[in-house]
Amino acid sequence: MPLANHHTSVPVLVDEEKCIADKGCTVCIDVCPLDVLWIDETTGKAHMKYDECWYCMPCEADCPTDAVTVNIPYLLR
Amino acid sequence: MNIEDLTIIDTDVLVIGGGTAGPMAAVTVKENNPKLDVILLEKANVKRSGAISMGMDGLNNAIVPGHATPEQYVREITIANDGIVDQPALMAYAQRSFPMIEKLDAWGVHFQKDETGDYDMKKVHHLGTYVLPMPEGHNVKKILYRRLRRHRVKVENRYQATRLLKDTEGNIAGMIGVNTRTGEPIIIRAKAVIMATGAAGRIGLPHSGYLFGTYENPANSGDGHAMAYHAGADLANLECYQVNPLLKDYNGPACAYVTGPLGGFTSNAFGERFIECDYWSGQMMLEFFKELESGKGPVFLKLDHLAEETIQEIETVLHTNERPSRGRFHDGRHTNYRQQMVEMHISEIGFCSGHSASGVWVDETGATTVPGLYGAGDMASVPHNYMLGAFVYGQICGESAAAFASERGEINLDRHLIDQELVRLRAPLERQDGIPPEQMEYKVRRLVNDYLQPPKVTRRMEIGLERILAVREDLKLLKANDAHELMRAMEVHSIVDCAEMAARASLYRTESRWGLYHYRVDHPDTDEQRWFCHSRLYKDDNGNMAHGTRPVAPYIVSLGEEKDAYNQLRVKQAANA
Amino acid sequence: MKQYQDPELQELAERLASDDAGLRRVAVLDLVDCPEPEAVELLIQALNDADPLVRQEAAKVVDEFESAQMADALIAALNDSDEVVRNAAAHALSDLKDPAAAAPLLAALQESRDPFVVAGILRALKPLRDADAREPARARLDHADPRVRREAVAVLGWLKEDANLPMLIERARDDVDPEVRRAAVGALVYADAAAVAEALNGIVTDEHWQVRAEAINSIGKLDHQQGLDLLITASRDTTWQVREKAADAIGKLRRVEGVPALGECCRDPMSNVRKATIGALGAIADEQCRPYIETALDDPDPDVRKLARWAQSRLSAA
Ligand SMILES: Cc1cc2nc3c(=O)[nH]c(=O)nc-3n(C[C@H](O)[C@H](O)[C@H](O)COP(=O)(O)OP(=O)(O)OC[C@H]3O[C@@H](n4cnc5c(N)ncnc54)[C@H](O)[C@@H]3O)c2cc1C
Ligand code: SF4
Ligand code: SF4
Repeated sequence: MPLANHHTSVPVLVDEEKCIADKGCTVCIDVCPLDVLWIDETTGKAHMKYDECWYCMPCEADCPTDAVTVNIPYLLR
Repeated sequence: MNIEDLTIIDTDVLVIGGGTAGPMAAVTVKENNPKLDVILLEKANVKRSGAISMGMDGLNNAIVPGHATPEQYVREITIANDGIVDQPALMAYAQRSFPMIEKLDAWGVHFQKDETGDYDMKKVHHLGTYVLPMPEGHNVKKILYRRLRRHRVKVENRYQATRLLKDTEGNIAGMIGVNTRTGEPIIIRAKAVIMATGAAGRIGLPHSGYLFGTYENPANSGDGHAMAYHAGADLANLECYQVNPLLKDYNGPACAYVTGPLGGFTSNAFGERFIECDYWSGQMMLEFFKELESGKGPVFLKLDHLAEETIQEIETVLHTNERPSRGRFHDGRHTNYRQQMVEMHISEIGFCSGHSASGVWVDETGATTVPGLYGAGDMASVPHNYMLGAFVYGQICGESAAAFASERGEINLDRHLIDQELVRLRAPLERQDGIPPEQMEYKVRRLVNDYLQPPKVTRRMEIGLERILAVREDLKLLKANDAHELMRAMEVHSIVDCAEMAARASLYRTESRWGLYHYRVDHPDTDEQRWFCHSRLYKDDNGNMAHGTRPVAPYIVSLGEEKDAYNQLRVKQAANA
Repeated sequence: MKQYQDPELQELAERLASDDAGLRRVAVLDLVDCPEPEAVELLIQALNDADPLVRQEAAKVVDEFESAQMADALIAALNDSDEVVRNAAAHALSDLKDPAAAAPLLAALQESRDPFVVAGILRALKPLRDADAREPARARLDHADPRVRREAVAVLGWLKEDANLPMLIERARDDVDPEVRRAAVGALVYADAAAVAEALNGIVTDEHWQVRAEAINSIGKLDHQQGLDLLITASRDTTWQVREKAADAIGKLRRVEGVPALGECCRDPMSNVRKATIGALGAIADEQCRPYIETALDDPDPDVRKLARWAQSRLSAA
C-alpha cells in the first residue's frame, strides 16, 4: 500500500522574526493540547507540523513575544 | 521489547488525565494523606489541557444556598433525564457543590459577584437558579497547576495511557502507556487508579469534515472509555449520546447560559423562540433538531435586539474565554451580533456525562466495577456533571482512592497483559507501509455519522455496525511514521472501540428515550415496563461485547408535584415522532 | 548569587543571572514549573530585572505563585514604569485573599498617587473585607478618577456596614460617571430597605438605563415593598430592559396591586418582557392574574407559553 504526500494549509502561523525559540523558548509547543507545534529543524523556530488544530488559542495567548497567530482552519472559514 | 527491558514506576495513586477532574483528584489525595505518592499522567500538558484550557464561561449547575437546594437539583436532573439516574450519586454531587465553589473561590478562581460580594446567580431555568457566571474565569488551569506544585504531585506530561493493568486477582494494578514524543512505553504500578480522561469526543465527524473541529477537546478521543472496557469495567447508558447545540461550522457552544441572562436566545429563521423544554436535555435537542429540519429552519442565536452595552459585554465574555477564537470566526464571515443572527447547528455525537448521561459506571464514591479503579468527570456516568461535577467527583475519587491505596498490600502484575500491549504499541511503527491513522479515523467517523447519528433506524445501525467491524479488521494495518502518529494510531483503536459501543448500545435499548439522544424511529415510544433501567455494556469472559441491565436505585428524593410542574414546562405533546 | 540546594532551582538561578536578557526571559517562563517554595525569590528578583521584557514576563506569571509570599514585591511592581507589569501586579494582588495582606496594601495605598495604582490596591483590598479599609475607601469616593471611585464603592459594598450607606447613596445619586452610579446602587442591597428607600426614588429615574435597571433590581432584592409605585412607573420605561427588570421585581414583591401594570406588560412587543411578566404573575398567583395568564397560554413565544402553564399550575395550587 504505497503512500502519497498530501498538502494542507495550516491554520497557525508563527512570526519567525518575533519567535525566540533559539533562546530556549518552547512555550507554545508545551501548551498545545494536540502537540501539533514543533521546532522547525531548518529555522530553529516554532511552526505547525500537523494540521490537527482545535483553534483553542493557548499557543497564542501564552507566547511571550506575540509571535503566534491562530486562524480558523480553512475548512471552517 | 518486552517487560524485562522496562523499568516499572511505582506509585500509590495514579491519576490518568490532567484536565479538570484529574488535578482535583490528585490534589485531594495529597490533602487527605500527604505521605501517599501521586502521579498525574496527561496526554497533553497539564498547564493547558482538557475542556477548560482557556477557562469557562460559568457554572451551569451550581447549587448555592438561598437559590436552590440539593433535593431540588436531584429532582430536576432526574426528570430531565427521564428518570434513569442514580440519585445517590447525584446527591453526593449536589451536597458538595457549594463547598467546592467556596474552595475554588478561596483558591482564587473568579466567580461573578454582586456589588456586595455575594455570588451573582442567574436564573436561566424556571424552577431553580443554578447558573453562576465566571466572565473572568480564564485562570482556572493556572490555579489548579499552582495547587499541584504546592502538593508536589508528580506530573508526567505527554504520556498517553493505552491500557489499564490488573493483578492476578482482578484488582486494578496500574497502567501501560506511551510517550507521545518518543514512542517509549511506560509502565506504572499503582495501588489505586483514578481515570479522568474526559469525554469520548472523536466518535462522530463535525459537519465541516475537519477531524479536529469537534465540540470536545480532541485529545479526549475516548481512550478512557476503551481502557475501562478492556479492563472489564461496566459502562452505562452509552446509547444516551451527547449531541449539543453549536454555532454552524464553529465548535463554540450556543451559550444560552451566557447570553440567556442578558436577553439573547435561540430562534428560528423568523427570529422567534421555539424551544419549549426548559433544561438542557435530549428533549431540548429533539426540538432543536426538528426546527432545524423544518420550514422554519435553520436555527439561530439571536442577539440583534440587545443594547450596545449588552452586546459589548457578551463579546468580551465570548471572545476572551472558553472558545476565544469565536470572534475571529465571525470576523471571517462578516457576522456582527448587532446586525445578524448567528447560524447554529448540532454537534457530532459523543459520550459525555458532563452534558448528558453516558459513561463508565461509577457509584457515589466514584468507584467503577473494577476494585481500585475510580472514574471522575465527563468519562464517568454521573449525569449533567459539567465542570463543577468534574471537580466534585475528582475530589470524591481522590478521597476514595487514598483510602483504598492505604489499605492495599503487594501487587502482582499480570505480565501477560503487558506483553500483549507492548506488541500492540509497537506494531504501527514497525510496519513498512499501511493505512495512515488519519485516513482510518476519517473513515470510521464518517460511518458513525452516516449510520449511528440520531434519528436512529435499526437496519441502518446494523449495517453501520457491520461496516465498523470491517474497519476493526483493518486496525492491524495502521502505519505510523513517528511517535506523534503512533499516538493518533492508538487513538484510532479507541475510536473504533467507542463506535462499536455506540452502535451496540443503541441497538440494545429497543425504545426511545432522552429525546434526540436515543430517538429510535422504529421504536418511537418510551417503554417504562421494560426499559426503566440503566443499560450495561461490558466485556464478557470470552472477550465479547455484552449487554445487561442495572435497576435504577430507589429514589432518595421523590419527584412529587414538581414532576408535574416540570412537565408543564416541557413540550405539550411528547416526542411526536 | 545565592546558591540553591535543589539542582533545578540552581540552574534557573544561573540562567536568571545571564547577561542575555532573552535567556533571562525564557528562564522566567521555566520558573513556573518549579515546585520549590524558593522559586518565589527568583521570581521577585525577575520582577526587579533591569530589562522591562523580563519584568513583564515575571509579572505575567505572578499569579502562578502563592501571592501572599510576594505581597511586597507586587506592591512595588504597582509602581513599575511598564503598564503591563503594573496591570499584572494589580490583578495578582486582588487574588491575595489573605487577611495578612491588608496591612501592606493599606500602607501602599497611603503612598500611592497614580489612579491606576490606587484602583488596583482598592480592588485587592475589597475581598479582604478589612474594616481598616473603610476610611481610606471613603476618602477616595470623590477622587477625580472614576476608576478609583468605582473601586472605593466596591470596597464599601463588600464591607456591608450601615454607616457607609449615606456615602454610597450619594455616589449612586450624584456621581457623574454612570458606572460608578450603577455600582453604588447595586451595593445598596445589603441595607435595610427603609434606610435607602428615599434615595431609590430618585435613582430609578436615572438618565442611564443600566443605572435604572440596577436600581430596580435592588428594589426587588431588598424586598422594598414601598417601592412598588416606582416599579409600576418603571414598567412603562422606554427601554425594554428596564421594563423587564421592573416586571420581574414586581413579582419579587408579590404585590397584587402590581397586577394591572403587569397586565399592560403582557402586551409588550418584546417577548423578553412578556416572559418576565408572566413569571411575575405566577409568583403573585392571585385570582386577578388569571385572565392574563390564560391569554399568555397562546402567546407566540414558547418561553412565555411554558411559563404561563407553570403560572396556571400555581394558580390552581393557591
Ligand atoms: C467547549 C466546551 C464548553 C463548556 N462550557 C461549560 C460551561 O460553560 N460550564 C460548565 O460547567 N461546563 C462546561 N463544559 C463542560 C466541562 O468543561 C466539562 O464537563 C469538564 O471540564 C470535564 O472535565 P474532565 O476532567 O472530565 O475532562 P477534561 O477537562 O477534558 O480532561 C480530560 C483530560 O484527559 C486527558 N487525556 C485524554 N486521554 C488520555 C490518555 N489516554 N492518557 C492521558 N491523558 C488523557 C486529556 O488530554 C485531558 O487533559 C464545557 C465543555 C466544552 C468542551
Ligand atoms: S511561544 Fe512564541 S516565542 Fe516561544 S517558541 Fe512559541 S512562537 Fe516562539
Ligand atoms: S490553537 Fe490550540 S490546538 Fe491549535 S496549535 Fe494552538 S494550542 Fe494547538
